[in-house]
Amino acid sequence: MNSKLIQIAIENSDTIVQMWLEKIDSLKVDKFSSSTSDELFENTNREFVNVIFTSIKQQGSLIEVVAFSEKIITLGWPLSYITDGLQMFRRVTIDFILSNSDQVDTSFFSELLTSVDRWVEPIIHQLINEYTGSWEHILSIQRIALQELSAPLIPVTDGITIMPLIGTIDTERAKLIMENLLEGAIKHNSEVVLIDITGVPVVDTMVAHHIIQAAEAVRLIGATCILVGIRPEIAQTIVNLGIDLTNLPTKSSLKKGFTSALEITNRKIVDLKPKEDGIEEMIKSLQGE
Amino acid sequence: MSPHSCVKIRKEWDIVSARQLGREMAKKLGFSTVDQARIATAVSELARNIYLYAEEGQICFEVFETIERKGLRMGAFDTGPGITDISQVMQDGYTTSGGLGAGLPGVKRLMDEFDIQSEIGQGTQIKTVKWVR
Amino acid sequence: MSIPILKLYNYLLISIQTEIDDKTAIQFQEDLLDKIHKTGATGVVIDLTSVEIIDSFIAKVLGDVITMSDLMGAKVVLTGIQPAVAITLIDLGIHMQKVATALDLEQGLIKLYQELGV
Ligand SMILES: Nc1ncnc2c1ncn2[C@@H]1O[C@H](COP(=O)(O)OP(=O)(O)OP(=O)(O)O)[C@@H](O)[C@H]1O
Ligand SMILES: [Mg+2]
Repeated sequence: MNSKLIQIAIENSDTIVQMWLEKIDSLKVDKFSSSTSDELFENTNREFVNVIFTSIKQQGSLIEVVAFSEKIITLGWPLSYITDGLQMFRRVTIDFILSNSDQVDTSFFSELLTSVDRWVEPIIHQLINEYTGSWEHILSIQRIALQELSAPLIPVTDGITIMPLIGTIDTERAKLIMENLLEGAIKHNSEVVLIDITGVPVVDTMVAHHIIQAAEAVRLIGATCILVGIRPEIAQTIVNLGIDLTNLPTKSSLKKGFTSALEITNRKIVDLKPKEDGIEEMIKSLQGE
Repeated sequence: MSPHSCVKIRKEWDIVSARQLGREMAKKLGFSTVDQARIATAVSELARNIYLYAEEGQICFEVFETIERKGLRMGAFDTGPGITDISQVMQDGYTTSGGLGAGLPGVKRLMDEFDIQSEIGQGTQIKTVKWVR
Repeated sequence: MSIPILKLYNYLLISIQTEIDDKTAIQFQEDLLDKIHKTGATGVVIDLTSVEIIDSFIAKVLGDVITMSDLMGAKVVLTGIQPAVAITLIDLGIHMQKVATALDLEQGLIKLYQELGV
């Protein structure tokens, strides 16, 4: 019975395709932006219906379905284009076969429904899998991007690394920060790590606790941690809350922290040319000497 | 590896086998290196406590998944003397063996969930969970 | 299983390469103190780069051996503690605040020489 129905569908594929194409055209109005050209829309529709027929002809092979779904995903078309399209195909095919059969009893009807379902369901499944797969992929990429964004580590010069913290710190993020900090310090062979909290809006006991823990872990791996960017209001809350930061070197600004990081690593910044010399030279050159 | 496996703790060396199994399972489940170390360390603490204070017991692992997340369950079960005052042993620095007293409060911080039950003369049961992040 | 201790001038160098079980740790404590006694070493670097786990017991043994060495006149620097190990130590509440640390063996030797003056 199934094979007989397949035969009918294939023999009349031209008519079915035509019926389907007329119906699917109605989707364009509400689902697509005007940037999708009519030509692209029509060509893709033809390809879509061919893919469906190929799958039916090849007894449910899904190879072409995969290739087609990749194309649709790249085009960024909505998943509903696919599901609606396949529903329409189901309806059109059933209508066609029913109206062209002489005797229609309940058993024929139910077998027809079962068969058509059997053609369409695997395709729907495959396409939905491809779609969700691509969504999950995008989601995981974005998650990684967000993680990197939330705890960047900047190796400024040999042995000195800066971690600017921006935004609210919760427990989850604090763990991430600690891991990035330690792994980064080892990767860049940093003797000194500066944690800059200029961009942290509130330092409560929880945040302070996490920062102290991170600093202690940094010390365990053999580096030194300096907390910089302590704004006046942050200093006030720290003291008012009774948070003890005495074991942790702190500096008000990144600039001061960087200077003491240089000291720790036995270096300092020198002007290559004293300023006055520079001015004298300039005057001389202006006088044409 | 079966989703549910146990290691008996009788000898000192069993502590090492237990933490190796813990690490291996954690790795397979996709825990980060840091979380693998956290789990292995927690196993080591509980296994050593069994060895030191209860003489015999076991450490069991179970992988479990809900719709939203995956995790590793780790339990330590012994039939030792039990613990009289649980809030006391959960304090940092409390020890009866000249240790650091860091084990139990440490395990609570290393894992995401921690539950301890003990009955004098019956033994101690500690159940913990770590979620894959 | 015992952990090899190398001598370099008045320093002792130890690189722990194996998973440390309790016996090995205790044995190491004895061996190191013995060696300090015999050689009169003034500085010790213990490199932990290959160590994947330090629990409270090993931490205590390490802490003790550092205090004991100090009593015998040898300063100890721990080097190469891995991030995962550092984090679990902090979770355990073990901060080793008085212990000197350095990123690697080389930095450890520099620290002994420059900062600790031994
Ligand atoms: N399974 C157990 N059965 C009976 N008593 C226990 C058990 N586990 C722990 N205890 C008791 O609880 C105390 C605290 O345990 P905890 O692991 O926190 O520290 P510790 O073992 O003494 O030292 P550390 O673990 O830092 O080496 C122990 O000294 C012991 O008295
Ligand atoms: Mg213990």
